[in-house]
Amino acid sequence: MCHINIFNTENMDEKNFTPEESLSIISKTIEETRKKIQDNGHIMILWGCLIFTVIFSQYMLELLGLHKKFDIVWTCILFPLGAIYTFFYTRRKTKKNNIPKTVLGITIEAMGWVFGLNVLVLATVFNNHIGNALAPVIMILLAMTIIVIGLSIKYKPLTIGGIILNLLAFGTFWVNPAYYGFSLMFGAIVGLIIPGILLNIAKKRGNV
Amino acid sequence: MQKKGEMFSDLDPILHSQLRLSIVSILMTVEETNFNFIKDATKAAAGNVSIQINKLQEAGYINVKKTFKNNYPNTAVSITEKGRNAFEEYVKNLQKYIHPK
Repeated sequence: MCHINIFNTENMDEKNFTPEESLSIISKTIEETRKKIQDNGHIMILWGCLIFTVIFSQYMLELLGLHKKFDIVWTCILFPLGAIYTFFYTRRKTKKNNIPKTVLGITIEAMGWVFGLNVLVLATVFNNHIGNALAPVIMILLAMTIIVIGLSIKYKPLTIGGIILNLLAFGTFWVNPAYYGFSLMFGAIVGLIIPGILLNIAKKRGNV
Repeated sequence: MQKKGEMFSDLDPILHSQLRLSIVSILMTVEETNFNFIKDATKAAAGNVSIQINKLQEAGYINVKKTFKNNYPNTAVSITEKGRNAFEEYVKNLQKYIHPK
């Protein structure tokens, strides 16, 4: 567990410190608290790999002629498992590391769940209405979520990844629907896996 | 010649203490936290943190809720509107000292 070692509490001198020192205490404390409560890219990498695996396996099942039998089961098992894991992982991490509630944390969590529920409803209830456009629409929703989170935590690779994913989603409308899966897989890599890995590296180096 | 303590007489004496200032700075960043987080973050002694939390509570700058979590005592701490305003005023006054017109 990291500590904000900004002053010597043994020699606590109540009033003999300058305004510059006061500002330094404030900025260091706020900066260190933010570092402490910020999540790593673990969940982003998990969801990127999950999307990649599901789409890739669907192509493989199609090649093997098992597409009709297994693809729905595969999707219906892996994504809910990912959601359950995410729920318990974040809950356990918050408890174990004694992470306090923040407005930003609550907003990011809510955005993730709202995105997931919207995708679930679109894919199950409105699948017939939306047809082939489902993949690019999901990508646009994901890109929006990633861009907003990237801007909120002021992390450029995430924002850039989200923008690339957004552009990729628009480009997907122009390609043959048979290749939409490739767009999704590429989107998962640029929008989630790469920024997630970079976020983990930056966190380890203490840059975020 | 003015003494250091008198020099910064415009600065809120409640906030012009290293540990109390750090506690309030933490609370400005989070929605709510607990005693252990503050103790770990400031690396201060539990008794000292407790004393400063009491002073901030008496001034009406923070809210303290004592409950039990999984049979362990839990002290939830959050900043009040008065505390938020006092902190913002303190920062404004600091800037006046650093960049006098």
